[in-house]
Amino acid sequence: MNIRQAIKMAVKSILGSKGRSMLTMLGIIIGIASVMTIVSTINGMNEQNLKQMEAMGTNRIDVSAYLYNGQNAFEALYNYCNSLGSDLVLGVTPNSNASATVVYGSKSSTAMQKNQENMWSMDGSQQNQGNVALPPNLYYGSDQYSVCNNFTLAGGRDLSAIDIKNYAQVCILGARAAQNFFNYADPVGQTMQINGLPFTVVGVYAEKDPNSNWSMDNVIVFPYSVSRLIQPGTTMNDFTVKAASAEAAVEATSRISGFLTGLTNNGKSGNGYANSNNQWQNSVNEQATMMSLVLGGIAAISLLVGGIGIMNIMLVTVTERTREIGIRRAIGAERSSIVTQFLIEAAMLCGIGGLIGMALGTVATRVAGKLLVHVDIWPSPAITVGAFLLSVLLGVVFGIYPAAKASKLQPVEALRAE
Amino acid sequence: MLVKLKDVYKIYGEGMESEVRALDGVSLEIDRGEFVAVVGQSGSGKSTMMNVLGCLDIPTRGDYLLDGTDVRELTDKELSHIRNKQIGFIFQQYNLIQNLNVLENVELPLIYQGIGADDRRDMAMEALERVGLSDRVRHKPTEMSGGQQQRVAIARAIATHPPIIMADEPTGALDSHTGHEVLGFLQRLNKEGSTVILITHDNGIAATARRVVRLADGRITEDQAQEVDWL
Ligand SMILES: Nc1ncnc2c1ncn2[C@@H]1O[C@H](COP(=O)(O)OP(=O)(O)O)[C@@H](O)[C@H]1O
Ligand SMILES: [Mg+2]
Repeated sequence: MNIRQAIKMAVKSILGSKGRSMLTMLGIIIGIASVMTIVSTINGMNEQNLKQMEAMGTNRIDVSAYLYNGQNAFEALYNYCNSLGSDLVLGVTPNSNASATVVYGSKSSTAMQKNQENMWSMDGSQQNQGNVALPPNLYYGSDQYSVCNNFTLAGGRDLSAIDIKNYAQVCILGARAAQNFFNYADPVGQTMQINGLPFTVVGVYAEKDPNSNWSMDNVIVFPYSVSRLIQPGTTMNDFTVKAASAEAAVEATSRISGFLTGLTNNGKSGNGYANSNNQWQNSVNEQATMMSLVLGGIAAISLLVGGIGIMNIMLVTVTERTREIGIRRAIGAERSSIVTQFLIEAAMLCGIGGLIGMALGTVATRVAGKLLVHVDIWPSPAITVGAFLLSVLLGVVFGIYPAAKASKLQPVEALRAE
Repeated sequence: MLVKLKDVYKIYGEGMESEVRALDGVSLEIDRGEFVAVVGQSGSGKSTMMNVLGCLDIPTRGDYLLDGTDVRELTDKELSHIRNKQIGFIFQQYNLIQNLNVLENVELPLIYQGIGADDRRDMAMEALERVGLSDRVRHKPTEMSGGQQQRVAIARAIATHPPIIMADEPTGALDSHTGHEVLGFLQRLNKEGSTVILITHDNGIAATARRVVRLADGRITEDQAQEVDWL
């Protein structure tokens, strides 16, 4: 019997028992589709989480620099960071709160402060923030503030290096702050009073994330140089550096540490110390490692369950066919013919079932992503191919193992099977 | 001598209390062209003997020469070839493959001989014509009566033109009319030169054979030639 005849025989056998063939394929289809869907959905959720954390500021290096001579360390840090190049560092900005009274028309941050105090004092719990205007958080920033804090402009322009150099009395509003003071009117070009000084609004940031905490968008950012107008004598010790990637963050952190150490050691700045750390990065990395461990565990379990299902189906159908093997042997089939036929049958069923399973798994992953986690998920090629190969391997191994065993029986023993 | 059993034993659970001697020292010679009926009560060892003769089973002890060859010396592959080319089996339960149609069932032994599709089809159709079923070749076995299924089994057994036909209670599941039809096929095959070994517990059927071998408790108790009218 040659291979072509063996293939024909396998096809005849598959078509001849459609019920059994469908059942076998169903095992494979469900095995592959469920493994793909479960693993891909969790994977997608994980990536989504990471993305959200990144939006909140991963790749962020928090730097503290103290110079005991009271001089500002920022300019040196700014120049150094920008010399590192955009494949390491995307931006650097002070991370310092300002404290000032903000007034526009009849609205003032003092009144908003009262709102907040009333809210807390009523019953000790915070009320719905959405309906009450709360005082804005004020920051001193560099021209790279928006890059470092993941803001994009909705209107107007961003802070520029010239603003900083010229002590320009300008500011940028976050989406919530703009709404609180301007009630959806365009704030760009309007003048606000900051501690009694006129500041022109030159830009508005887009809402960072509709789902995120509103206080992220309730901000007003000033060029850091105007701190000497708003709050004379302010020193800035905390800075934020935005690294190009997670790997770049590690490299940049050690470079900046080295730089700050050198800065204090070369005598130029007198006494002082510097440190930088990256807690965000660490916690995100930890979380990612944990998620991938959980993911690996779930993938292993679902593969195991799918595999056992496939194994059972193959074992049951082939055991049922011991008598058929006896008949074939009685009329002259060699052992090798039996094994070849069952191998081809199993490979065909698993292959076709595998393809259908992959298609179904892709659809199920897309649907699960949309319905369960509201994310656009495509199954990863590695998971898809892995699930396919494993299912086919299991199907073929457990398809021919019992057939090989039955073909070793004396034909009369196989014929006796019911 | 076509078939020669010498002091053959088939013992199940040897040495145990429940030991069964299905064949208990059987010696038998069958010549080419004979029509032998093996009779005996249920459990007397008839099927066991046919399985040994047909190379479907191996005896516990004793020699079996088939056409002069010592069967114990043959590999599994060689035994498969003997079953494929030398012997046509007919079983009481037909033993057709349920998910193949009539033609595919009859073609099966020819496939294992490696015969090409066209020749195979011709040979299978010829065999089906001989049993009068050439108009039902696309039916599945389950769509046919017992008598028709047994005719398919006969067609499968004769499709390869084997020199030996072995039938184990071929009429056991059939009514007497279809049973006689089947018997008629076997007699015709024998007239055309095949050696036929027919196993039955029915003395009436045994009476139509030229030679009757009687088995009881795994031993041959009688071996007689007789006159028959169909020759
Ligand atoms: N696989 C087996 N295991 C144990 N005993 C068996 C087996 N096959 C047959 N026998 C026993 O061998 C004896 C002969 O059986 P068998 O050849 O089938 O008888 P017959 O065909 O004449 O009815 C019986 O007693 C039967 O129970
Ligand atoms: Mg019997």
